[in-house]
Amino acid sequence: MTVMTAPQAETTEATKGGAPELIKAVPVRHPGRWVAAAIILVLAALAIQSLATNPRFAWGTVAAYIMDVNVVRGVGWTLLLTVLSMLLAIILAIILAFMRQSDNPILRWSSWFWVWFFRGTPVYTQLIFWGLVTVLYPSISLGIPFGPQLATYILSDPSKGFIPAILGLGLNESAYLAEIFRAGLKSVDKGQVEAAEALGMRGTKIMWRIVLPQAMRVIVPPTGNETIGMLKTTSLVLAVPFTLDLTFVTNALANRTYQPIPLLIVAAAWYLLVTSILMVGQHYIEKYYGRGVDNLVAAAAVNPAAAKAAGAGTPAGSDTGNGTAIPGGPTAAGPTIEESGR
Amino acid sequence: MSAPATNAGHAAPSPTATDLVRIEGVHKYFGEHHVLRGIDMTVKQGEVSVLIGPSGSGKSTLLRCVNHLETISAGRIWVKDELIGYREKAGKLHELHLKEIAAQRRNIGMVFQRFNLFGHKTALENVMEAPVQVKGQDKAAARKRALELLDRVGLSDRAKHYPAQLSGGQQQRVAIARALAMDPELMLFDEPTSALDPELVGDVLNVMKDLAKSGMTMVVVTHEIGFAREVGDTLTFMDGGVVVESGNPRDVIANPQQERTRSFLSKVL
Repeated sequence: MTVMTAPQAETTEATKGGAPELIKAVPVRHPGRWVAAAIILVLAALAIQSLATNPRFAWGTVAAYIMDVNVVRGVGWTLLLTVLSMLLAIILAIILAFMRQSDNPILRWSSWFWVWFFRGTPVYTQLIFWGLVTVLYPSISLGIPFGPQLATYILSDPSKGFIPAILGLGLNESAYLAEIFRAGLKSVDKGQVEAAEALGMRGTKIMWRIVLPQAMRVIVPPTGNETIGMLKTTSLVLAVPFTLDLTFVTNALANRTYQPIPLLIVAAAWYLLVTSILMVGQHYIEKYYGRGVDNLVAAAAVNPAAAKAAGAGTPAGSDTGNGTAIPGGPTAAGPTIEESGR
Repeated sequence: MSAPATNAGHAAPSPTATDLVRIEGVHKYFGEHHVLRGIDMTVKQGEVSVLIGPSGSGKSTLLRCVNHLETISAGRIWVKDELIGYREKAGKLHELHLKEIAAQRRNIGMVFQRFNLFGHKTALENVMEAPVQVKGQDKAAARKRALELLDRVGLSDRAKHYPAQLSGGQQQRVAIARALAMDPELMLFDEPTSALDPELVGDVLNVMKDLAKSGMTMVVVTHEIGFAREVGDTLTFMDGGVVVESGNPRDVIANPQQERTRSFLSKVL
């Protein structure tokens, strides 16, 4: 404590002699940056001018149809398809990721097979298949295997294209999400599980309370990506066929009015709006699951001051007071122990 | 502790009421690798038993066997006269159900070299987690007790901090509080200060000294010879998967009987 090191001494002297003279250097010029920026601005201006002046964009038609009741309903169906198929995919993916970690080889293999199959075939093909399932199985019955049937659901009803669409999108997506969840679970340190086990916690609880919340930090960003991807993949449901979603509705309007370009703009504008809203949601989910890891800078900066305050005062609750962070205590205690018996 | 010999063939220590931990003829293989080669030792109620030895000597593995984080390949381990990990019926060993293993672990606290605090939970939440989730304790009561424990380790002002906001020494003290929250009768310390900056080691050792004074039974794997000498009731030196020497820490350190102990101590002291 008494010995002052050289750098500290210099700093003290400099401070004594007034504020140091700060460097004011002439910055290096970057003409290339200015040229690149100019090119981009000119291109952007051209694009805006074209959008504004080319009558074939038919902005009047865009305005007429953007809030059209069929279009807005189409947005609703597209959102519903996205949310429900992602929900199905997430539930399946969690199960698949857990199965992949199982000690039971049959569970591991079937999880691997599922991912192999659904990732290995085009989603368009799968959607057509789910549309045709009604031909293979006109109805689904709930019952005892090889025994009596308890409930029956008729599939071969054309208005029921919604369920095959959800199945097709959800099952395909579950294969991708399963890999994302698997990577997330693997990213959590093994020590976390050991610590929980040592406290007497058990498998499922450890998974839900310790591992999964920390894995979510890794899982959420790519899952948000997949959700936005799903929003647009729903435009393929005409393969089922399901004909109420945004893309199908705007295409139908375009065919009816012979004005494909403004109606494509209508569809694109809605997709962009929904994507933007989903991105906001993703931001908050990421923030929630990043707790304890991300955005700790502010709190950490408070630490040194708080540490000093703590060291100066409160004794520990223990009777000896040995547990307190006394200033100098941390440095003094170690050597003291070492020396005491030597 | 009575773990004198190096070979597995000697008579097992006789069980007495005051022995909290009994380890008899324990072997451990990792594949072909024979890590523990017949360990016998006992830890009495209230005793602080310190395990030292070069890395790879099997001391951490032995510690991890006591709460069944590692399964043993041969031998028996009892804690409080309860066989760890197995049930013996008609001369046959049956694996315990995971539920029963978890129940055994509740009575055994463990502190890890790398702290292993739950990163998504604050210091307070870390300490409350097991009492609430495992014991089903009332949240308010668990919080009160957790704050007491954090105070005991000198961290009452850090309750709302996440592990990433704490220094290594602070994290390790939270980890000790977390283990104590389950009111264990036995505490296992697996090189609790090895991952710490030298200036932070003292804080953690002080907390452990307090704990020892309060009468806690402790098994401590460490390289802190000073701690062993000051706080330890017995010192066990392990090398190559066997107990080379064991006894009163002051005697063993001042006057090691075995050449291997002597050469090891000359390097670390």
